[in-house]
Amino acid sequence: MSHGHILGDSEYKSQVSAVWKATLYMGIITIVEVVIALLWMNYLADTLPRLMLNVFFIVASALKAFFIIAEFMHLKYEKRALIISLAVPLVFLVWAIIAFSWEASAWFHMKGLVSP
Amino acid sequence: MAEETVLHHPEIETGHEPFMPADEFASNSPMKVSYGKMMMWYFLLSDAFTFSAFLISYGAIRMSNAWWPDPNHVFNAMPFMGHRKIPLGFVSIMTFILILSSVAVVLAVIEGHRMNKKGVLKWMLGGIIGGAAFLGCQAWEWAHLIEEGLRPFYNPFGPDEKGLTHLVHETLTKSPGPVAFGALFFGITGFHGFHVFTGVCLNVWGFFATLSGKFEKVGHYEMIEKLGLYWHFVDLVWVFVFLAFYLL
Repeated sequence: MSHGHILGDSEYKSQVSAVWKATLYMGIITIVEVVIALLWMNYLADTLPRLMLNVFFIVASALKAFFIIAEFMHLKYEKRALIISLAVPLVFLVWAIIAFSWEASAWFHMKGLVSP
Repeated sequence: MAEETVLHHPEIETGHEPFMPADEFASNSPMKVSYGKMMMWYFLLSDAFTFSAFLISYGAIRMSNAWWPDPNHVFNAMPFMGHRKIPLGFVSIMTFILILSSVAVVLAVIEGHRMNKKGVLKWMLGGIIGGAAFLGCQAWEWAHLIEEGLRPFYNPFGPDEKGLTHLVHETLTKSPGPVAFGALFFGITGFHGFHVFTGVCLNVWGFFATLSGKFEKVGHYEMIEKLGLYWHFVDLVWVFVFLAFYLL
């Protein structure tokens, strides 16, 4: 975003409405998350596998993260070079998650062997 | 006259390239972004790795335990509600407070692009109030959990266990849960809270710098944008802390 020019009226209006739209979506996602968590607690816990709920929560949180980064942090409107330079290092996290889950399951089994 | 020339051409004195103003840097850079904003982005990237390390180790420790406290039973208190149990209620309110404070700061950034000092001040104040409210909520939650007996090295939220009837006469006792829970909870929410606190302090500075007309004199409100990036990052991290501690 260059600082040379001052935002015009139409640009201003569209930016503000984009922010409020993202806010609305994030609010709806959070409400749905809480409602589903409560539904789960009271009615669904015995019928559906927990994994389904967890996958839903992770996807919903990723969506919220997308709105914050793209809209609030304005990254959607930046040059692609900047977006790529920020996104590529995060690939390491994929391996970190795989490696630590692997490790955790090994610890879990070892505890079973050690404790009486 | 000679003195003035020197002042305007620092390369004569230092032998370095003259300082490049933010605008010029942005238009020359392949990323079309000023040096300050780019560096804020890379700082946030590194901070994202710090938080990821915390949250991934939380996940690994949690997965290696056969039993873990149910968030719906641990985090079910709300201020002014006495002993009524409202699972997720209070943290949802905290989440909304932080999202709305983030929205206020985005709107301050947009007003900054219009060089609207009053608008920047209004929305920055909103963002500061939201951040302070969030910190207040977190203080209440910590105080409540400490009252319940949670400590960095002690976790009272254990599984219900049938007492050994031939040794003690109690049939149902609360046993302590995995010790790591307390340390992880206070460590991670505390580190996030520290970021919120830093962000509020920086935003207060931004508010007063705007008030004094500092950015108006400079000709742009880029500093508010940088403060905004940091503030949204704090909100972003909360999404994942909320996921890890309260939802999963």
